[in-house]
Amino acid sequence: MADVGQAILRAADRIACPTLLLICSLHAQDFTQRGFLQTGLALYPETAPNDSSHAVDDSLFRYEASYKVRPWLRISGAVDAEFDTHEQVVRAAHLDWQDRSLRRPLLSLRELNATISQGKLTAEFGKQFIRWGKADLLNPTDRFAPKDFLSVTDPGFLAVTAARVIYDTGSNSFDLVWQPRFTPSRTPLLDQRWTVLPESLAGVSLNDLGSLVPGRSSFGARWNHVGSGYEVSASFYDGFNSLPLFQAAANTDFRRIYPALRLYGADAAVPLPWFTVKTEVAYYTSPDKQQNEYVIYVIQFERQIKEFAIVAGYAGDAVTSYTPGLQFSPELGFARAVLAHAQYTIDSTRSVATDAAIRQNGQGSWLRTVYSQTIGQHWRVTTGFAWIRGNPSDFLGQYHRNSYALLTLRYSF
Amino acid sequence: MNKTFLVSGFSFLVIGSLWGQDARQIVADSQQRGQSKSQQYAGTLEVIGSSNKITLKRWMFQRLGSFGASKAILRFTAPPEVKGVALLIINHQDRASDQWMWTPALERDRRIALQDRSTRFFGTDFSFEDLEERDVNQFDYKPAGEETFDGQPCWKIESKPKESKSSQYTSSILTIRKDNYVVIQIENFSKDKLVRRIHYTDVQQQDGIWAGRTTEVQDLSRGSRTVLKLEKLQYNIPMKEESFTLEALRHG
Repeated sequence: MADVGQAILRAADRIACPTLLLICSLHAQDFTQRGFLQTGLALYPETAPNDSSHAVDDSLFRYEASYKVRPWLRISGAVDAEFDTHEQVVRAAHLDWQDRSLRRPLLSLRELNATISQGKLTAEFGKQFIRWGKADLLNPTDRFAPKDFLSVTDPGFLAVTAARVIYDTGSNSFDLVWQPRFTPSRTPLLDQRWTVLPESLAGVSLNDLGSLVPGRSSFGARWNHVGSGYEVSASFYDGFNSLPLFQAAANTDFRRIYPALRLYGADAAVPLPWFTVKTEVAYYTSPDKQQNEYVIYVIQFERQIKEFAIVAGYAGDAVTSYTPGLQFSPELGFARAVLAHAQYTIDSTRSVATDAAIRQNGQGSWLRTVYSQTIGQHWRVTTGFAWIRGNPSDFLGQYHRNSYALLTLRYSF
Repeated sequence: MNKTFLVSGFSFLVIGSLWGQDARQIVADSQQRGQSKSQQYAGTLEVIGSSNKITLKRWMFQRLGSFGASKAILRFTAPPEVKGVALLIINHQDRASDQWMWTPALERDRRIALQDRSTRFFGTDFSFEDLEERDVNQFDYKPAGEETFDGQPCWKIESKPKESKSSQYTSSILTIRKDNYVVIQIENFSKDKLVRRIHYTDVQQQDGIWAGRTTEVQDLSRGSRTVLKLEKLQYNIPMKEESFTLEALRHG
């Protein structure tokens, strides 16, 4: 542990000194920076068969900076340093830029990209976040957005290494993305509570052979139109599913593979006098026939009444072609469900929010409520709970032992 | 007798009509004098809660166009937690504005549903409607007297939204300075109850336009107030249409 600590300090020193010198030399108006230091404690009243812990603490330091080198060129970057009590974070202090590890890296390059803007044209190169879709509850068209699912109900986004060109006329935008290097979603760890193994595997020691990461690049295109009183998009993606298929190798050995994926998507938003309707649909096809082919859709209704905002909707799916296989798919797990989000802003410093998902078969439900308060200019305290109930055969219900209470303290700068 | 009554009544109607016309003209002149092709300022806000707890916020504001057809981007620069959060507003004369919010933590923009314009803007005492520019053609006017306010002779004019204009307020009393036609107070009523008072002070001329540099908004139902100070205020500076798109919202 002491070695790791010293390695972190050495790495921080190597990064911090040149960074500080660079910051001092930059013109203040063109340079922006922000970040936070956060620690979060999750308390689980129940243990799980593969996880006896009741408390997990995770601490994260994030620093983001952006510099406008020229009026048409901006460089942006972000680094994360993370540590936890549950070994979800690797205990090795090297700077990771790939986001391909099963565990989270201790030090990682979260983002590093250059943005070139010239009139209606914007080009972005490097490690970046790309978000598609209009819905808030579920985004089936959001294909360049792999996630960290170490805690399934609270995923975080991972950046992708890509080149992106956008032509935006104001009412129409055309978005082309080429991703030469695949970034997989991070799945729950075998020895922790968010992996629920079948009873038939109880006591069996599984051997994880790692991942077979595809080598081919991915491509996507999206057109978005902002009309008079509506907004609509169409998108196409040809690449790989960031969610893995578990492939048995021999006896108790297994590995992750990432099926080829071709997707056709559309989304729309229509503000009406009483509420705003947002909808999103995607048809997932499997060129290599390694995974199911299916449609996922979501329709949501959004309304704001004074300080109260509510979003409620339904996510559904329809499988058009079956292929046997075991796939980790939270997207399908949250489909065939009623989804909702409500938030009440108490005053300028306090708010309370609730998220819920209830499967239509009644076999699984998830409810999360958090209260958040800022203290002064820099501090925020968040406390709440997540309540998961259901049948072990259901995607949500299988996590019924994972209800938890949370307390998070964040210092932003 | 009847003839005298008719003449008096007619004269009263004519005079009343002329006053109404004058009231509208005063507001039109005020709007005309305050018109600009673009506006930019750095805003510092103090939100003072009912228990006198003060919250500080800062934003950069840019607007292109005016009175119903404008586009605006507002980008928070403080406190640290909301730094980078930005709002794009596309105003329309015939319907509610389109709005998108960029949240850096989520790395995405999302369209905001805003059927209720009485919603408070980001925890301040401004409602979304208060941030819109009032267009003279969207209201009916009648004079409500004259008085000295903030040491200046002023007209008081009552405005009521026309049927086509959806508003949380049933009426407003505008206080307009006689010397430079600057609106220095708006008292907004909901069913005859005063619900929000907007007071403009520190009136100065900038780029040929008179405007209050300090705006104090009192939400009388909550007992809270917000003070907005405009710094680095500029009008009619060159701005590009492409600075007010969803892409511009993302990249800052």
